[in-house]
Amino acid sequence: MRSPFAYTPRRGPLQAASPGAAVAYLGAFVAVAFLYSSPLVLAAAGLGAALAGRFAGAGGAVRVALRMGLTLALLIVAVNALVVDRGETVLLRLGELPLLGEVNVTAEALAAGATIGLRAAVAMVAFAVYSACVDPDRVLRALRPVARRSALTAALISRLVPVAAADASRLREASRLRGPAAAPLGRAALARRLLTGSLDRAVDVAATLELRGYSLQPPNPPRSIAAFSTQGWGKGSKRRSRYDRRFYLTGAVVLLAAIAGKLLGADGFHAYPTIELDPTPATLAVSALAILAGLAPMRRPAGRRNA
Amino acid sequence: MPELATPPRAVPALAIERLSYAYSSATRPASDPHLGLDAGRVLHDVSLTLAPGEFAVLAGRSASGKTTLLRAACGLVPHFHGGEIEGSVEVAGIDAIAAGPGELASVVGYVAQDPETQIVSTTVAAEIALPLEMRGDAPASRARAVEEVALALAIPQLLDRTVDTLSGGELQRVALAAALVTRPKLVLLDEPTSQLDPVAGDELIWLLRRLNEEWGVSILLAEHRLERCLAAADRVIAMSSGAIGFDGAPSDFLAWAQSNDTALETPAARLFSLSGLEPLPTGVRQARQTLSAATPPLGRVAGGWGGLQRSGVNFSPENHPRTAATSPGEKSSKPETPPTARQDPPAATVRALWVELGEADVLRGIDLTIRRGERVALMGRNGAGKSTLLRTLAGLVDPVRGRAEAAAGIALLTQSPGDYLVRERVADELPGDAGRAALRSVGLEHAVEADPRDLSGGERQRLALAIALAGRTEGAELPGLVALDEPTRGMDRARRCGLEQLIEGLAGRGAGVVVATHDVEFAAAFAARVVLLGDGVVIADGGAAEVLSGGWYFATEVARILDLPGVVTPEQGVAALIDAEAGR
Repeated sequence: MRSPFAYTPRRGPLQAASPGAAVAYLGAFVAVAFLYSSPLVLAAAGLGAALAGRFAGAGGAVRVALRMGLTLALLIVAVNALVVDRGETVLLRLGELPLLGEVNVTAEALAAGATIGLRAAVAMVAFAVYSACVDPDRVLRALRPVARRSALTAALISRLVPVAAADASRLREASRLRGPAAAPLGRAALARRLLTGSLDRAVDVAATLELRGYSLQPPNPPRSIAAFSTQGWGKGSKRRSRYDRRFYLTGAVVLLAAIAGKLLGADGFHAYPTIELDPTPATLAVSALAILAGLAPMRRPAGRRNA
Repeated sequence: MPELATPPRAVPALAIERLSYAYSSATRPASDPHLGLDAGRVLHDVSLTLAPGEFAVLAGRSASGKTTLLRAACGLVPHFHGGEIEGSVEVAGIDAIAAGPGELASVVGYVAQDPETQIVSTTVAAEIALPLEMRGDAPASRARAVEEVALALAIPQLLDRTVDTLSGGELQRVALAAALVTRPKLVLLDEPTSQLDPVAGDELIWLLRRLNEEWGVSILLAEHRLERCLAAADRVIAMSSGAIGFDGAPSDFLAWAQSNDTALETPAARLFSLSGLEPLPTGVRQARQTLSAATPPLGRVAGGWGGLQRSGVNFSPENHPRTAATSPGEKSSKPETPPTARQDPPAATVRALWVELGEADVLRGIDLTIRRGERVALMGRNGAGKSTLLRTLAGLVDPVRGRAEAAAGIALLTQSPGDYLVRERVADELPGDAGRAALRSVGLEHAVEADPRDLSGGERQRLALAIALAGRTEGAELPGLVALDEPTRGMDRARRCGLEQLIEGLAGRGAGVVVATHDVEFAAAFAARVVLLGDGVVIADGGAAEVLSGGWYFATEVARILDLPGVVTPEQGVAALIDAEAGR
C-alpha cells in the first residue's frame, strides 16, 4: 500500500514550485509555531498548514499527520501534567507516585503541555505536506551543488522520509507474520527498526548516487540559465517555476508578520503561574494571516488564468 | 621495407592484481562455514583480467566473495564500505581504489542484487536519465539515450510510471537501464535474474549478450542460476572462499565443478555427468546437438546408448546410478502427499477470488484448493498475481469478490526478508529453545550472535524464514499452510537443497506448502504440483513433472533438452536415457 506521505506528482502550484520556495513557504508555518505560545496562533498555523496540504491535493497526508500529531500532543499533555509541578489551579491530587514523587495535576501544566503538543503537531503537518508535495528528485538535484561530496547527506535529506514511509507499512505487515516463538515486537522496537532500516536504505541510496556520478563536478549551466538559477542543469529546474514568487512572498510575509507581531506583544499567553490568554488585535492579525497563507497553493480559476 | 606498427594493446576492461580485502569490523558479514577465511578476509589474493568485450560469469556459493569482488570493481569497496584493502583494481585503465565510484561512473555500470536499494528517483524516466544528468549531457542527448535503452530493455511503457508502482522484475530492468544508459565499458551485475521470471531472465541474459556483441561492453555477471547464462558466456570465474577457484571456458568449468563442487553443476551438466556423456553441455542447444548426434536421436526412437556410442559420444552406462534414478512412469523420489492428510480439511481454499490493486484486477476469478501435506509451486510471469494470492490468503489484502481461506492458519514469508529482521542480534529475534530450533531448521545455528544486517542476502532470507516459522516447525502449532514468496533469491544450490528438505519436512508433518517461485529447477525439485498463473488466472494446474515438461519457458533445462513428457530432473533424465537404451 502506498504511504500517504509518499510524493505524488500532481499539477499544482506547490508541486511545480522549486524545493526552495516550498521549503520557505511551509517553513514559515513551522517558524510561527516555534515563535509563538499562544494557542490561538498555534491553531491558526496548524490550520494554515492543513489548508495548504488540502489545496495542494495532499489531504490524505494531512489527515494522517493530524492524527499522529494530535496523538503525540495528547501524550505530551499527559507527560507534562505528571512531571511538571507548577501552576496554581490544581485539578487532581494523585498523591505520592513512584519515581515522580507527589503529583498534582494543574490546569497550567495541561495548558503548557497542549502548547508544546500543538507546536509538534503543526511541524508534523507542515512536514507531511512537504513530503507529499515536493518532488524528492528535485530536492536531490537542488542539493548537488552544496552536497556534492556527500551523497549520503543528500540521500538523507531527500529520501529518508519517503523511504521510511514506504518501509513502515511493510514492517507493520511483517510484524503480523512473525511466528509465535519469534520475539514479540513493541512499537518502540518497530520504530527503532524503522529508523535504522531507513538509514541503511539511505546509505544504499547514497551508494547508488555515488555510482551514478553524483560526486562529479556539476557541469556549468548555460550562461542564460545561470543568470537566474543556481541549478539550471537539472531536469525540471532549468528555470524557476512561475509559482516560486508566490511561495517565497507568502512565506516571507508570514514570517515577517510573525516577528513583528511578537515584538508588538501578539503572543499574549502565559501558562504559569496561572493561565493568561490575552488576544490582542495583533494576535488576531497574525492568526488570520497564518490561515490565509494556507490558501497559497490554490490554483487560479481557468478564466482568470486566461485573462 | 618499413616495419609494421604493432597495434596498441587494448586496455583491459578490468584488471585486478592480488586483491585482498576485509570489511571493517562494523560492516563485516557474519562468519559463514563456507567462508573459512582468516582475519575476516572476504577476498584473498584475487587476480583476474577481463578483456574488452568479454562476457564472464562469476560463479560461486553464497558468501564466497562474488558481491564483494563486484563492489571492488566499481569502487564501492573500499570507498563506500571502508575496510582494509591490498592489491590493485583498474577499470578501463583507471585506478579504482584511488578514484572511487564517482570517477568510475562513466566507465562502469553496476546492478546490485536487490534493485530496491538502487533506485533513487521517483519516476522511471528520471531514474534512467540520472547518470546522464550527473555528467552533464544535454537534454536532447539524454532523451535519446533514455529512449534507446528503454527500447533495448523493452520497458518504454514504464518510462512515465513512478518507481513505487513497479514489480521486482520491472525494478530490476530499470536498474539495469540506469546502469547501461551511459554505455559503460564494463557492466557488473549481481544476480540480476533473481527476481525475474524465466521468460524475463532468459531475455535479460540474451540482451546482455547482444549488448556485449554489438556495443562491445564487457560483462561480469554473478549468478547462481548458471544454467541460464553459461551458454552466453565466454568465460567462467568461480569463487571459492574468497579466492578464485577456477578461471576458464564454460565447458572446462563444468568439468571442474563436477570434480570440485557439484553444487555449481548445471542440470544439463548433471544429466550428462550422471549419464557419463561427454562433453558436458553449457546449454540446451549444445546438449541437444550432442544427443541428436546419436543416430537416431534419443527419445524419438530406440537408438539408445548404442546409437550414442556409435556416433562417437563417450558413454559408459556401467558408471551410472540407475538405482538412484526414477523414470517418468516410476514413483518419484519426492514423498507423496501423506494419505492420512488427504482426509483433513484443505490447507487453503480459494473460491472465485477477485482482487483489485489500484485500479487493476490482479486476480480474476481464481479457484484453488491446497491440501494438507501438499507441496505446490506457484509460478507465472512477474505481475501474474502470485504474491497477491499469497498475501490474500494471509489476510493482508482484502478480496473484492470471492474468498481465500487458510482455515488452519498460515505462515507467510514475503519477498522482503529484511522486514522480518528487527533486532540487532539473531538470538534476540529468536529466543529460547523454539528459536534455536527454528534457526537449526534453516541451517543458521552458527549465526546466533550475529547482527542480522551483517548476514549475506541468502542468510538473511533464511533467518526471515526462521522467524516466520518460529514455534511452528514442530508439534501441534504447525500452521495448515506455509507460504513462501520467492524464498530462493540469493541462495546457492546447496542452500536450496536445504530449503527443499525443510519444505519436505513441513509437508511431511501435515502442512500444505505453497512456494511462489521463478526458479523452475527448484520447483521441479521440491514440488509435487505446479500452479501456473497468467494475468490473474490459473492457466495450468497439475503434477510438477507434467507442467514443467510441457512448455518452453516454464520448463526445466532437462525438460528442454530431452523434450520428454514428465522428465524434468537430471535423475529422471538419466532414467529416460537408460530406458531408451533398454528399449533398443
